[in-house]
Amino acid sequence: MQNQAKLPRQNISSNTGNRRWSTLLRSPFFDIIQFIFLLTLSAWFLSKTLRESGYHWQWYQIPQYLFLFDDSGFHAGPLLLGLLITVKISAVSLVLASAIGMATAMMQLSNSFVARTTAKIYVETIRNTPLLIQLFFIYFVLGPVLGLSRFPSAVLALSLFEGAYASEIIRSGIVSIHRGQWEASYSLGMSNIDTYLTVILPQAIRRILPPLTSQAISLIKDSALVSTIAIYDLTMQAQAIIAETYLTFEIWFTVALMYLAVTLTLSLIVRQMEHRFRMN
Amino acid sequence: MFSSDEINPQQIVIAANLCKTFENGVRALDNFSAHVERGEVVVVVGPSGAGKSTFLRCLNGLEDIDSGEIIIDDIVLNDIPANRLAIRKEVGMVFQHFNLFPHMTVLRNVSLAQQKVKKNSRGEAEQTSLDMLAKVGIADKAGSYPNQLSGGQQQRVAIARALAMNPRVMLFDEATSALDPEMIGEVLAVMKDLASDGMTMICVSHEMGFAKEVSDRIIFMEDGKLIEECSTLQFFSQPAQERTRAFLEQII
Repeated sequence: MQNQAKLPRQNISSNTGNRRWSTLLRSPFFDIIQFIFLLTLSAWFLSKTLRESGYHWQWYQIPQYLFLFDDSGFHAGPLLLGLLITVKISAVSLVLASAIGMATAMMQLSNSFVARTTAKIYVETIRNTPLLIQLFFIYFVLGPVLGLSRFPSAVLALSLFEGAYASEIIRSGIVSIHRGQWEASYSLGMSNIDTYLTVILPQAIRRILPPLTSQAISLIKDSALVSTIAIYDLTMQAQAIIAETYLTFEIWFTVALMYLAVTLTLSLIVRQMEHRFRMN
Repeated sequence: MFSSDEINPQQIVIAANLCKTFENGVRALDNFSAHVERGEVVVVVGPSGAGKSTFLRCLNGLEDIDSGEIIIDDIVLNDIPANRLAIRKEVGMVFQHFNLFPHMTVLRNVSLAQQKVKKNSRGEAEQTSLDMLAKVGIADKAGSYPNQLSGGQQQRVAIARALAMNPRVMLFDEATSALDPEMIGEVLAVMKDLASDGMTMICVSHEMGFAKEVSDRIIFMEDGKLIEECSTLQFFSQPAQERTRAFLEQII
């Protein structure tokens, strides 16, 4: 590979004019120029759009919906309260989805025909129907039967939905471990459970973590759908404020930034975890 | 199949009429029988695809046989999980590609199963592990990770890992085939030590020098069948079968 990569470069360097160009194209100076060009283009496009849309921006209105400071101290505004609900629903669903995903992956890999088939049907049903309909089904159909209120219905729907994806990620991570690892462990007399817990999963987790993080981020964003069953999460609060104030774009942009803050935090935490796993 | 008076108490491994066909239709074992006595070193040879590795892997239940009978130290290998586990405790195995656990230190590789299977305390397991690592000559690498070791060192760790379970029988599945030539010697030296300690060993190997020097008996197989089984001396000097002579001419 290295030899192949070197060949064309040598051809270029035989021509002094080309060499000067390639040095320029690879210099940091050129990178900066590209960035400036892109930023200018975006800024021009944005300002043109805003001017022509004739929208009257009222950003100064936004802070009051985030938080209030008065004599009695700090008060969270509706958006922050909504964010708290979103984080709460996402966190609980994340834990539950991981557990469901792990259990389903184990079932798919088990020797039992019933377990394999059940897991397959669950995964395919969930992955091939809309989350919105699953949410309605659980809240309006199962909810009254099982006595589930809004919050548990939302958590259950999200967990079942993301769990199906998580199970596929976990399963593929597990089967990617070389079978020699299983054989070595079995040959030492280790049980199935010990083999999974001490040999296979610790290796699989390193491969599973990045795609599982993407799935967790999807979960946080998908949690916006719970507003449809009148849970006052971030999205629902935003809709309520907009209905009163018509601050459509200001509120939605703010909400998007708040989601971004949560997902970026999650990404950072996972990156730290990955780093720790590599250290070990 | 065996009544008790037929079992020779000296025989620690009995494999009778083994048949095994893989899902792709390859017949790996075809009515193959073999036995090994306590303290014996047996080398299994034969052309590639002869079923040598499959035979070893059936002995500790890594592969299931279709029919036949395997008895190791009076334990019958069958569908009962307790029996399978009991046999795996008796039988240590060393693989061609070492199969060390890459996410664990050498010490942890060797001590893990002692804790999980034998339920030894961590301290006890680590002491045994250090002894075993000293035995194979790499106690100083206890804190290293497998990818920091050479192939020869990794294979010696794998041997120590199997020995730490105090097995009665050791299986070597082409233990030196994946090694660079200059590292084969160090692994064979450990295997020779083990043989002179009186360990019962079944080795699938292409190392004819090792076979000649260390083994008591040679089993020659082809297409899943037993072609010839005789003492090492006879195998190399006057093999009975025409096929064996042809094989020996090719490799020596």
